[in-house]
Amino acid sequence: MSYADQTRSTYERTIDQIPASLRVYLPILPVVVLVGIFIFYPIVRAIYTSFFEKSFLRPNQAEFVGLANYAEIWNSSVIHQVLWNTFLWVTVGTLGAITIGFVMGWLLHKKLPYVSVASAIVLIPWVLPRVVGASIWQFMFAGSRGIINELLVQLGITDQYIVMLGSPALSLWPPIIGIIWRLAPLFALLTLTSYQGIDDHLYEAARMDGATPWEEFRYITLPMMRYNLAIGFLLMLIYNIRSFSMIWVMTKGGPGASSTTLPVMIYRTAFIDFNVGLASALSVLLLSVLLVFSYYYIRVYDKIQGEFQ
Amino acid sequence: MSTDSPDSTEPFRTNQSWLFDSQAGTYLRKIVVGLATLLTAVFVLFPLYWLVVTAFKTTTEIQRIPPTIVPQNWSLQGFWLVIESSIRASGYKAFFENTLGIHISSAIDINVIGLIVSSLKVSIGAALVAVVFGTIASYVISRREFHGKNVLMILLLVSLMFPGPAIMVPMWELVSTLGLYNTHLVLILIYGAMTVPFVVWLMKGFFDEFPQAILDAARMDQCSSYETFRYVIIPMSLNSLIASFIFAFLLAWNELVFALTLLSNTKYTVPPGLLTFVQGFNVQWNAVAAASILVSIPVLIGLAYIQRYFVQGLTGGAIKG
Repeated sequence: MSYADQTRSTYERTIDQIPASLRVYLPILPVVVLVGIFIFYPIVRAIYTSFFEKSFLRPNQAEFVGLANYAEIWNSSVIHQVLWNTFLWVTVGTLGAITIGFVMGWLLHKKLPYVSVASAIVLIPWVLPRVVGASIWQFMFAGSRGIINELLVQLGITDQYIVMLGSPALSLWPPIIGIIWRLAPLFALLTLTSYQGIDDHLYEAARMDGATPWEEFRYITLPMMRYNLAIGFLLMLIYNIRSFSMIWVMTKGGPGASSTTLPVMIYRTAFIDFNVGLASALSVLLLSVLLVFSYYYIRVYDKIQGEFQ
Repeated sequence: MSTDSPDSTEPFRTNQSWLFDSQAGTYLRKIVVGLATLLTAVFVLFPLYWLVVTAFKTTTEIQRIPPTIVPQNWSLQGFWLVIESSIRASGYKAFFENTLGIHISSAIDINVIGLIVSSLKVSIGAALVAVVFGTIASYVISRREFHGKNVLMILLLVSLMFPGPAIMVPMWELVSTLGLYNTHLVLILIYGAMTVPFVVWLMKGFFDEFPQAILDAARMDQCSSYETFRYVIIPMSLNSLIASFIFAFLLAWNELVFALTLLSNTKYTVPPGLLTFVQGFNVQWNAVAAASILVSIPVLIGLAYIQRYFVQGLTGGAIKG
């Protein structure tokens, strides 16, 4: 043992046993193990289980059924309705959140004083526990006592009290309004941050060239923040398609399947109907959509930050 | 063209529309902007106002049709109901009634205070797991080159997209195989895994900009790599560390899906507990609103602190705040 060796602690000498090329992975190991076990393993497991007929009540008896669970998705009319609901949910929710969020972000940047205080207040719907946000909206829409129903009657839009959460034709829409309320602030903050990142000199130069405010917006603001907006758009898609609490608290997906989207359907199939195989197949469906969104997220990310060094 | 205009670029505007030139256009723009501000403000704030107001109404006023916009008499009945139901559910009812002479009349028995305690346990645990492991990993990722670094960072970014309903069924299978069903430990690990990528991205952004000269100076003073980390880097990065901690804490505090599927009601944390509260007693809206306010307090305190890091953390550093 050389002199240099003796000054090193036992801990350091143990570490020295590991080849230098592998030593760098040691500090990363806990993260890799944690994320590997609790996020990536379940993904693989979902694909595996989706080929089995398996009940929640007898988890040890699984029967290989090939693609039968996927065939059921293909044939079941309830699931078709659920997929259609999910499509509506994601489209309307995303467009609503982006439009309102962008306007909010623009107002915050251009028109309102005390930006940091105002944006903190705006963010409250997003950081509030999801169940709290959802229960506020449930209460506002609830039964015949809800404030929103009262408002509609007072404004003369309807002349009767409708139980919106209990009507098959309407029950999907209150949760959509709720999710827009929750997600729009997030997009507003993204817009605000993007605005703050644009150099004022660009606008000054444009005005010198005689640009109208619309042209400033069209030829400076939009091009400068296009990747940021793309990130925001993808985040909105992902949060929308993943959202569970808003619907579950407000309607539990009912009546029937009228307000059920894919996440709620997965929960109902696995934990109420106990059909783990079918639920896994539905999970695989949701995972594939998320994977597509993630792919584009990485693409845009790459555009903003340059190559992954 | 007036020469005392505050906007010095005005003489250069040639192709303006009437919207920007005439007096009427100016009024129209002001009205539209004002209206947009008003509408979005009402949309964002009214539900929050309604939550607060409902919490302070009496039970009889809650039942009124049409509902009152401002409570006629402000009352703490909602909060009192929450405390009473907590006392009832925690099994100290007899103690309070006999010894302190307080009559517990609540019909609800959900231990909201107990829920908050278990949620604190889980959230702090998860945040510690995420911050400790995430910081160590992000330091190495930021300072060293190694094989698979790009793949690792991409996988960490992608892993932010999946948690929630998409993996709750296989997660339940995994957790029952491990024999950890209905334990707080497993939630700590899952939330830790869900939030560690956030922490890695946030802290990597910080470490990337950390001046190398300071590390060299520490090295000259015979600091080992551990000592450099402990006595130089940690104190200097305290702000980012606290932000990461709060970020992870908030995520764990708000998460419903895994808490709902991996716990039974004896061990519920705040989100599933509140859900039972909402669905079981939705006549007592003042109690529900009061409970909602109580469980939102930590979130609001946290928001004030992390606002600056919010966008950066949430987008995995794609957009710098």
